[in-house]
Amino acid sequence: MDELLLSKVRLGVVAELLNFDWIAFSELARSLDVSNGNLGAHLSKLVDAGYVEEEKSFANRRPLSRYRLTKRGREAFASHVTELQSLLKAAQ
Amino acid sequence: MSVEPLDAAAAQDHLEMMNRILAESQPRLCNGGEYFVVWGIGSAYITVLAALVHGGLLPSAAAWSLPIVIAACAAFSIVRGRQTRGVLQRSSLVQREFFNVLWLTLGMAFVVDLAGFNIFTGLASAAIWSVAEAIVLLYIGMHGNRRAQIAGVLVIVSLVVANFASPGIAGYVLGAGMLVGYGGFGASELLARE
Repeated sequence: MDELLLSKVRLGVVAELLNFDWIAFSELARSLDVSNGNLGAHLSKLVDAGYVEEEKSFANRRPLSRYRLTKRGREAFASHVTELQSLLKAAQ
Repeated sequence: MSVEPLDAAAAQDHLEMMNRILAESQPRLCNGGEYFVVWGIGSAYITVLAALVHGGLLPSAAAWSLPIVIAACAAFSIVRGRQTRGVLQRSSLVQREFFNVLWLTLGMAFVVDLAGFNIFTGLASAAIWSVAEAIVLLYIGMHGNRRAQIAGVLVIVSLVVANFASPGIAGYVLGAGMLVGYGGFGASELLARE
């Protein structure tokens, strides 16, 4: 099982990014209802693992960080979900 | 990395959270009913005005308002697009795909209107816009929007009726299809959002 995705916040981030091209940091924090510091730490791990791509830019002179799922992240998510489902099936 | 292994209850919890997030993040294709209203009214105005001029009910000088209306619609789209670009911090893959279809369809209709007027003259060029609008609406409808399905069918019905109607009223029928179908769909989207 993918240890990186065992965290509920990180799994939530990947699930949020699954349907979208890019999502801004503020949007992710609002959707997942987590603090900026907490989200930032989890996002760093996902970026370091190559699951998520980060883009930093400026919008109306304010910094804007956007994130999107990489192919590697998408594949890791798919196999993680399969393993979660197998675990549930085995327990039933 | 020190992470607690998952038991079945936690796995269930994770899957439920994931399903909830995925269900909530189902993207809506149409996030801008105002574009449909503006272009629906604009295209209907152009078509009906052309029919009125062609039928001799208005002087040909009235046709000078056509480029002004097109420019106003385009200016609205550009200004509104810039306004919403800052607000919309997320765009879905499906939305991006939809915008590609939208701009390709309407762009092709624009090219035909601008550079193919010798091939498609008179009401045929208005009918091309009806076809383009129907494609856009039915594409939205294919992704589950019932109002877009109905609006797309209305535009197609207007095309068919215009085809078999007397030439004198064909332009008005096409214009009505654009106004009710395209513009009406945009209005219904705006009302549904509120």
